[in-house]
Amino acid sequence: MERHFEKEFEELKTTINKMASIVDEQVESSFKDMEDQGARLYKSVKQRDREVDAYDNLIMAQCENLLALYQPVASDLRFILTAIKIDSQLERCGDIAVNIVQRIKKTDNFRELIIQTDLPEMAKITRTMVKDAITAFINCDGELAKTIWVNDDIVDDLNKKIFNQLVEKIKSNPEVAEACAHLIVLARQIERLADHATNISEDVIFLVENEIVSHKKKLQDFHLPE
Amino acid sequence: MEVIEKTKTENITKTESMIHQPIKISVQNLSAYFGKSQVLKNISIDIPEKKVLAIIGPSGCGKSTFLRSINRMHEVARGTITGKIIFDGEDVMKVDPVYLRRKIGMVFQKPNPFPTMSVFNNVVAGLKLNGFRNRKALKEIVEKTLKQAALWDEVKDMLNKSGANLSGGQQQRLCIARTIAINPEVILMDEPASALDPISTAKIEELIFELKKDYTIIIVTHNMQQAARVSDYTAFFYMGELIEFSDTKKMFTAPVKKQTEDYITGRFG
Repeated sequence: MERHFEKEFEELKTTINKMASIVDEQVESSFKDMEDQGARLYKSVKQRDREVDAYDNLIMAQCENLLALYQPVASDLRFILTAIKIDSQLERCGDIAVNIVQRIKKTDNFRELIIQTDLPEMAKITRTMVKDAITAFINCDGELAKTIWVNDDIVDDLNKKIFNQLVEKIKSNPEVAEACAHLIVLARQIERLADHATNISEDVIFLVENEIVSHKKKLQDFHLPE
Repeated sequence: MEVIEKTKTENITKTESMIHQPIKISVQNLSAYFGKSQVLKNISIDIPEKKVLAIIGPSGCGKSTFLRSINRMHEVARGTITGKIIFDGEDVMKVDPVYLRRKIGMVFQKPNPFPTMSVFNNVVAGLKLNGFRNRKALKEIVEKTLKQAALWDEVKDMLNKSGANLSGGQQQRLCIARTIAINPEVILMDEPASALDPISTAKIEELIFELKKDYTIIIVTHNMQQAARVSDYTAFFYMGELIEFSDTKKMFTAPVKKQTEDYITGRFG
């Protein structure tokens, strides 16, 4: 006899996997739009965001239901806590994908600026991070999750580098100032995407290994006041 | 990180966090039988002083037998044991059982106040049975123990009425007052809240928190959330064996054994 809890728990897993797949597609499309001038995926990325938002609400309701009705413990509890956290990370990733295609649309006439910076390299690394983070979560793969956050520092450095590259462009050719400003924001958005991928990978470690690794480096010598 | 430590010489199990704590009861290689049927198999647990140990496990796993072995109630039901239970350094089998049960009190699943006695007499029944007759001292003990049992405010104006007139939750707290009136050191609780409504259950759980300041408590419960809420340590029994023994927080967040995980997440069998 299938228990109610298991049925609802499996439904939550299915919902969050569906949401993760859509977000993965959104991110893929937004980067494709950036690479390929003819892609024009703005509309589809934006349309799918409504689905992501609907899944966001559904996941919160499912988690609330499971916690209130079944008081889960151990790995079940960890999965639900992780689902709540990853749900919010995924929702933000979806928003960022929309933001990326919006920036691309606004800089349509200045596409050459993108390839003159390290934006394609930053996008490539971040794309892999997001894909791996989602795969690690779906497959509960702690080892894959651990490979993700190593790239976060590389993306942070690229963001700084791209900022300087674009500031130089503005100085040398003020006509491209507005487009460069959009691209600086775009780089910042990609950097946030990498942060979310890192957060998801940290949540996967909590799920699989029951260890809280978030902010570990930052909190090394820090203790909350009594 | 090992959760259970088994020393080679004595096979005592203790959790990491209890290593520096004074031990009130040390159960060593305890096996219990009804006739030829073995209901507990070689259990070893150290129980620290003034802490709460919860025993969980499916029906028939030996939880209640374990509890009843500690104050020698098991032998009243014609059961036998092998191994040792050391209480304050003494083998319980060498201690007078009446004295032992005075030191190790017990609260049962169903509230069982003496129906023909008043609230007052229920509390002091054990003392009177032991020949204690000083009325003034008895009054003081009644007030003190009813306060300890979080019942005084509710019954102080009806001390002479029958204990049977109280609600189920009040009756159970009256039984706890009766248990602590004779000044035990350990309280055994066998499903103390399973017959009670949620509010009475919450009161009993709050009371357990308060009581552990003064007493060592061992509670058998089917309610895992209750075990998680009230206890410092949890032991999981299955078919007479101790499967896992650890700090309660650890048991309910990251149990080591698959059987434990399956049981606490409800996937057992």
